[in-house]
Amino acid sequence: MKRLLTITALAIVLALVPARRGHTQTDVTFTKIGEEVNQKVIKVFGAGGFKGLASYGSGVLIDKEGHFLTINSHILDTRDLRIHTYDGTKHHCDVVCREPELDVALCKIKWGARQGEIEHYFDLQTAFKRPPLPTGTNVLAFNNMFQLAVRDDAMTMQRGVVASYAPLYGRIGVFDAAYRGNVYVIDAITNNPGSGGGAITTRKGELIGLIGKELRNELTNTWINYAIPLNAYTEVPDKDGKKIRVSIADMVKLKENYRPAPKRELAKNTSYHGIILVPNVVERTPPYVEEILPGSPADRATTKLKPDDLIVYVEGLPVPDINSFNNILATYGPGAEIKLEVQRGDKLTSVTVKLDKPIGTSKK
Amino acid sequence: MMTPYLLCLTLLCPAQAEDLDDLFEKAIQTAVKQSSSFVVKIETSGGTEVVRTGGPRPGMMRRGTGPTTGVIVSADGYVISSSFNFANKPTTIRVSLPGTNERKVARVVATDQARMLTLLKLADLTNDSKLTVPTAIKKEEIKVGSSALAIGRTLNAETDDVPSVSVGIISAVERVWGRALQTDAKVSPTNYGGPLIDISGRAYGILVPASPQTEGELAGFEWYDSGIGFAIPMEDVFAILPRMMKGTEKEPAILRQGFLGVTMQSGDELFEKKPILGTVQPGSPADKAGLKPGDTIAAIEGRDIVNFAQMRLQLGKKYEGDSVSFKIIRDGKEITFDKVILGSGVAAYDQPFLGILPIRDDNETGVEVRYIYPKSGAETAGIKVGDRILKIARPDLPPTAPLVAVANRGALLDLLAVGRPGQEVKIEVKRKADGKTETLTAKLGDLPETAPARMPEGASAKKAGLKPGEKPGIVQKKPETGLQKLTLAATGQDYWVYVPENYNPQVACAVLVWLHPLGKNKERDFEDFSSSWATYCDDHNIIIVCPPKEGAWTGIDSDFIVQTIRNVAATYTVDMRRVLAHGLGVGGEMALYLGFKERALIRGVAPIGAPLAGPVKERITTQPLSFFLVVGDKDRALEGVKETNDRLRKARYPVMLREIKNMGHEYIDGKLGVTTLEELVRWIDSLDRL
Repeated sequence: MKRLLTITALAIVLALVPARRGHTQTDVTFTKIGEEVNQKVIKVFGAGGFKGLASYGSGVLIDKEGHFLTINSHILDTRDLRIHTYDGTKHHCDVVCREPELDVALCKIKWGARQGEIEHYFDLQTAFKRPPLPTGTNVLAFNNMFQLAVRDDAMTMQRGVVASYAPLYGRIGVFDAAYRGNVYVIDAITNNPGSGGGAITTRKGELIGLIGKELRNELTNTWINYAIPLNAYTEVPDKDGKKIRVSIADMVKLKENYRPAPKRELAKNTSYHGIILVPNVVERTPPYVEEILPGSPADRATTKLKPDDLIVYVEGLPVPDINSFNNILATYGPGAEIKLEVQRGDKLTSVTVKLDKPIGTSKK
Repeated sequence: MMTPYLLCLTLLCPAQAEDLDDLFEKAIQTAVKQSSSFVVKIETSGGTEVVRTGGPRPGMMRRGTGPTTGVIVSADGYVISSSFNFANKPTTIRVSLPGTNERKVARVVATDQARMLTLLKLADLTNDSKLTVPTAIKKEEIKVGSSALAIGRTLNAETDDVPSVSVGIISAVERVWGRALQTDAKVSPTNYGGPLIDISGRAYGILVPASPQTEGELAGFEWYDSGIGFAIPMEDVFAILPRMMKGTEKEPAILRQGFLGVTMQSGDELFEKKPILGTVQPGSPADKAGLKPGDTIAAIEGRDIVNFAQMRLQLGKKYEGDSVSFKIIRDGKEITFDKVILGSGVAAYDQPFLGILPIRDDNETGVEVRYIYPKSGAETAGIKVGDRILKIARPDLPPTAPLVAVANRGALLDLLAVGRPGQEVKIEVKRKADGKTETLTAKLGDLPETAPARMPEGASAKKAGLKPGEKPGIVQKKPETGLQKLTLAATGQDYWVYVPENYNPQVACAVLVWLHPLGKNKERDFEDFSSSWATYCDDHNIIIVCPPKEGAWTGIDSDFIVQTIRNVAATYTVDMRRVLAHGLGVGGEMALYLGFKERALIRGVAPIGAPLAGPVKERITTQPLSFFLVVGDKDRALEGVKETNDRLRKARYPVMLREIKNMGHEYIDGKLGVTTLEELVRWIDSLDRL
C-alpha cells in the first residue's frame, strides 16, 4: 500500500512537470538548438539591388578570427562588404578566397584598430569528417530569405528532411550551376533571395551544408531547394589533363594562399563520331540514327549502330532529343571513349565509341 | 496505475524524447528504402512541345524532358504513373528497374482520364526480373494527420540509390470530387507518379497534380511544392487495374469519367438544396434510364443527397460503364432507378441546324428570319427572309403534340437543342409578304462548315432591352468608345476594351476576348490588335476585351478573364450568345481552355496556332460551343491543331479548320491571313445561327 502511494505521488508530481513546460520535449529542443545556431549565422550585405539581384545574403561563422563561409555570388563584388551578427554588431569584411567550382567563398571580418574575437562559430573540423546524411534525415535551415532579418533579428529557421543526396549539375536538370558535385536536396522551400550561404544543420544543430542559389530544374521546370555539403569537393582537370581535387576543407585550410582551380576547358565540337542522325525538324526530335559514315569511329565500334537505332543515353545521361545529344557530345574531346545506350525495337544495347579528331584536321 | 506513471516518464525524460525523434527518422529511412523496391524511374525520348513558349523563360505550361516516377503494380510488368509525365506524348519510354540499373522499354497501354493516371507495360521482361508490388492501405484506414511520405525517383542518378522523399501528413481525404487524398508533403514533377507511403512503407496512393477547378494532365501543377499535394488512393488504383490492363499498345484502354447527361436547374442554389434536373440530353444515359427534367435527386448509391456538391462527389468517382442507382422524387413520389449505366460523355447526336440567322435585339414575340442558309432545312421548307417564326413542335415529344410558342431567339435555341439532325419538325411562321400564318415542315440538318459568304445587312432590330438601372426616357451619357483602359474594382487588375465608334446601346454587341501570345501584354500591343479589328468591330458590332498577362497563361487566370467579360457586359449592351475567346499561341491554348471551363459564358473559341492541351469535355446541348481553328502550314503547331480538330469533331462539336498556306506562327492580319480573318468576322456575326 505504501509503495502504491509513493507511485501515485510520484505520478502526480511528474504529471505536473510537462504541464508547466507547456511544450513537448521536441519543441523545447528545437528552440534551444535554434537559439544556439542563430548565434553562428550572419546576415551578409554587399553588391546588388538592381536587375532583380538581391544585395543581401547569409553566411556561417567558422572561427574566432571572424572567418565565414558564404555562397560565391555577385553580393561579394563590392568594396563595402558588411555583415550583421546575431547581437546586431555590424562588421566590414573582405573576401579571402573564392572557388567558382564549389560556388563557395571564404570571407573575413576587417577588425580595424581593435582586434576582436568571435564567440560563437561552427566547428568545421568535425563537420568535414561527417559522412553524408541519409535520405529522410531531419534537417534545419537558417537563412536571411527576403532580408526578413537585419541587425539583431533572428534568422529564419525552417525544418525539412533530406529529400535526396545527388549530383546537382545535369542530373537534376541544372545546367547553369558551377558546382558539379553532390548536393543535399531539401524538401523545405529554403532557396530564396537572401538565403544563399545560410546554414543547413542536423536536428542537433551540427552544420552540414551551405544553402545554395536559386536555381531552376530545367528537366522538371520547377525551382530546386538545395545545399552544398561542407565536405563538398570536385575534380577539375588542369591543362595536362591531371585531375585536381578542390574542396571547402582546402579553402578553409589555405585561406589567402588558396588558388582557385583552373578554368575548365570545354571541348566544343572538336570531336568526330560519324553518326548521322535524322533531320532535327521539331524541337524535340528524338536522336534516331540515320546512317553511320563508313570508316568513322562509330563504324569502328565493336558493337555497331544501325539505322533506326534510337540513342537514349550518353554516358548514363538521358538524351531525350537531338539537341541534348549534341550538347552532351560537345563536352567530349577527341580520344574520349563514350558509352552510348541505344534502343533497338524492344531491346537496349550498349555501344562504345572512341571519338576522333574532326575530319580535315591534320593528325599530329 | 502503471499507465500514467509510464506516460509521465516518457514526457519528462529528454533522452527518451530524442529517441522518439531518432525512431521516427529511422522509420522514415526504412520506409523510403522499402519503397525503393517498387518505385521506378521513367525516361522518355521525343514527344511534342505542346506549349510553345515564345520566349526564353517558359511559362508553367511547358513540359520538362527529365526523368519521372512510376510505381510497379503487377509482378508481370505493369507500372502506373501520373499522366502529367506523358502529356507531351513521348515517342519512346524506358523504365529503370529498382535495385539494378537495368532499363526496359515500356509502352502506354491505358490512360485513366478521370484520375489522370497512365499504365505502362514493360517489354522484353525476363523471368528473373523480380518485381515488387506495394501493399495498398485501405481507404477507410486512412486518417487525416497520419504521417505521409512522398516518394520520387527523379533526383537520383542511379536506381540503386534510395528514392527521394518529402515528409508530411495526410491533410484531407475525399478531395477533388472524391477522387484524391490531400497531403502537405511537397508534391511536384520531382515525384508525380510516385507513391505516397506511410511510415511502414505501405502505399496510400499515387501522387498526381490535381485541381478541383481545372482538368487535364497539367491541372494542379501550379500548386507544386506548395504544401497542397494530391494522391489517387492505391485501393482505387488496384480496383481499376483489371480494366486498364485490357489495353494494349495498339489499342490503349481509355477510362473516362462517367457521364449522366443532365444539367441542373438554376445556378444560385446548387449548393443549398437538393438538386433538380434542368435538362436531360436526348440519347444520354439519363435519358435512356428515364430520368426527366424536374426530377429531384434524393439519393445516389443509397446515400442521401442534400445538395449538388454531394451529387458531384458521388458521381465524380464513377467511370464510363459504371452502374449507378438513383432515388428521385417526381410529382411527390419516390422512384428508384437501380441500374443507370453511365456513358462516356460523347454526345449522342450532332447539334441540329434549321438553317437561319435570326434578327437580333427584337422585343417582339417570335423570331424574325434575317438570313436563310442555302440548301438548309429552312430553305427547303420554304421559309423566307423576313418571316417570323411563332411556334414550333418540340422535337423530344411525339409529332402529334401541339406546337409550342417561341418567345425569342433563346427559346428557339433551347427547343431545337433537344432535337437531332434528320428529324422533321413543324414550324408555324408569319409571312412577311402577306402577314398570313402558315405551318411548314422543316428537316433539321447539320451545322454548316463555312460562314456565310456575305453577311446580310440589318442584323439588329435595334430594340435591345435596357440595362439594369436605366430608366426609359432618361438620356444616358454616351458610353466611351475606342480603346480604353479599365480596372477591376475588386482586384485592381487593369485590362483594355475596344468599343466600336458607332456603338449604340440598342444594338447588342458580340464580345471578342483577345488572349494575347506571350509577352504581348502592353497597351501598344492592344492598340495594334484593335486597330486591325476596328473596321470589323464597327461593321459587325463587336467589342474587344483584352486582359493582359505577364508570362504564360495558366488555368487560374480564367477567373480574371471572366470578370473582365462580366464587367463589360454590365457596362455595354452585349449579346451573350456571341461571347468568344480568341488567341494566338499560348493565348489560343488559353482560349480553348476557357471555352471548356466557362461553358455558361463562352459560345465560340477561335485559337490560332494552338492545339488543345487538355481533354475534350462533353457537349452540353443547351450551352452550344463552336470552334474556328486557324493554323499556318509552316507553324510547328500544325499537327497538334489538326489533331485538335479531329478530337473536337469526334466529340461532335461544330468545328471549322482553316489551314493557311505558307504561313508560320503568326497572327492573321497579314496578307496571307486576312481572308481568314474576314471569314472569322462573319463567323462571329453568324454564331447565333439556328
